[in-house]
Amino acid sequence: MRKNNFIARINWPGTAVFVFVGLAWEAAVGSGLLEYEYLPAPSAIALGFGELAGQGILAPDIAHTLMSVAIGWTVAIVLGISLGFLLGLSPTARRYSLASIEVLRPMPGVAFAPVGLLLFGFSLKTEMVVTILPVLWPVLVNTIGGVTGVHQRLYDVGRTFRLSRKDTILRIILPAAMPPIVVGARISLGLALVLAVVAEMVGNPEGLGYGIVREQQALRPDLMFAYIVTVGFIGIALNAAMLALAEALFPSFRQLRGGQ
Amino acid sequence: MTYSRPWRQYFTLVVEALPSARGLLPLVALLVAWQLLQTGNSPYFPPPSDWWNGLMLLAKSGRLYPALSATTITLLLGLAVAVVIGTGIGLLIGVFPRFSRAVGPLLEFLRAIPPPAVVPVAILFMGYDERMKLTVVVLAAIWPILLNTSSAAERVHPLLLDVARSFRLSAVDRMRLIILPSVVPAVLLGIRVALPVAIVVTLLVEILTSIEGIGALMIGAQRNFQSPQVYGLLVLIGLFGLLVNNVFAVFEAILLRRWPPKTQSEMF
Repeated sequence: MRKNNFIARINWPGTAVFVFVGLAWEAAVGSGLLEYEYLPAPSAIALGFGELAGQGILAPDIAHTLMSVAIGWTVAIVLGISLGFLLGLSPTARRYSLASIEVLRPMPGVAFAPVGLLLFGFSLKTEMVVTILPVLWPVLVNTIGGVTGVHQRLYDVGRTFRLSRKDTILRIILPAAMPPIVVGARISLGLALVLAVVAEMVGNPEGLGYGIVREQQALRPDLMFAYIVTVGFIGIALNAAMLALAEALFPSFRQLRGGQ
Repeated sequence: MTYSRPWRQYFTLVVEALPSARGLLPLVALLVAWQLLQTGNSPYFPPPSDWWNGLMLLAKSGRLYPALSATTITLLLGLAVAVVIGTGIGLLIGVFPRFSRAVGPLLEFLRAIPPPAVVPVAILFMGYDERMKLTVVVLAAIWPILLNTSSAAERVHPLLLDVARSFRLSAVDRMRLIILPSVVPAVLLGIRVALPVAIVVTLLVEILTSIEGIGALMIGAQRNFQSPQVYGLLVLIGLFGLLVNNVFAVFEAILLRRWPPKTQSEMF
């Protein structure tokens, strides 16, 4: 039963188009129909994976990028949730800082790359300068929104049960604000990957981002595409992992997903 | 038809939606403290007054305005092309479920590739020129617009489609009178999501290739250790992002004045 269901769920026409485009690309490059000097065939890209893995540089690059994503994301989440609770709970703090946040928020992350380079040179620190600030905003803004959006009636429940301030925060506000916080964290995780790759292209010659630029400059498009596909797959995997985690932790999160 | 309010009123509407100016206090305090605590000529943390001088120096040398206009033009042109193509494909996908199913996995795969990763590919294929810069911006900005349009076209209220059937509208009229107006808010939402991405990608191309623009100016200043200019340009880019976002908010408010207000579910 379950297996039948699975087969029925596969999008056959979609898969066919996908495979067809891949084969047409392969054939066009193989027969010399597409005369782009630097367009590798899908098979060449697949071989590129083998070459990179064989040289033993793919795994360390993936590890480096994942590590910077983990650092940047963790810092952003810790800072974002704690600051978000502070600002969400105190109207005074909100009044005296929201405008600053609105001014800083549209700041594009790459613009910090030259500043990071100026201060730290080509290093992991520069990568963090580029990553952390843009990754912070979705968590911070969603936490503020989640905390201020807690329904008045829930506070009434807390008062009825004579909960202390600490208990109100831990048992009423935190659970109620969790769904938007998780959404923010998920957006941040995707952003963290993109920004880590950007930072590696511009500011820190390590990891997958540098791999892409290095192979482009070495005129090895097959290896470059292999790196890009790797980044794409990591993005899909991180997003899926985050969704699975959110659904495991908060079963009600599934409804939120439908809303998107 | 309806009396349209002057744009000034929409402008005040958006300004009123902005948080209170008191909130700028921490930022101002930080800059003042920076200015006061700064001692002598630090190569890494020049005082904010120097940032201004650095920018003026760039403006006097005649490099600031061409760079600013180059970046703005790329951004606007790229967004315009992305809106046309994105809305077109999005409508096709939304209106024809079979087409949607057929190209779905391909689009998902393409979308998973982060926009900045496309930059080196474009450099390799198209060389260092304006056309390449534009292509990259279009490729980055198209996804939010396309996806928002297609999901909105899929969710056009069944009642509206019944109306089209009752009036025996032709396919062209149905598209023009029913579907197109229903997706406009979604297209605008897509543009709002695409804006910051487009800015980031434009700057990244300029930083990586030194094609004329603010990004190129900034990385050039960094390479020459002109730290006041780097900070000055950072502030300029921040203001640029703020301006672009707010101008678009006014534009969106004006365009959407005849549409029903957003519901909570659409905000997500």
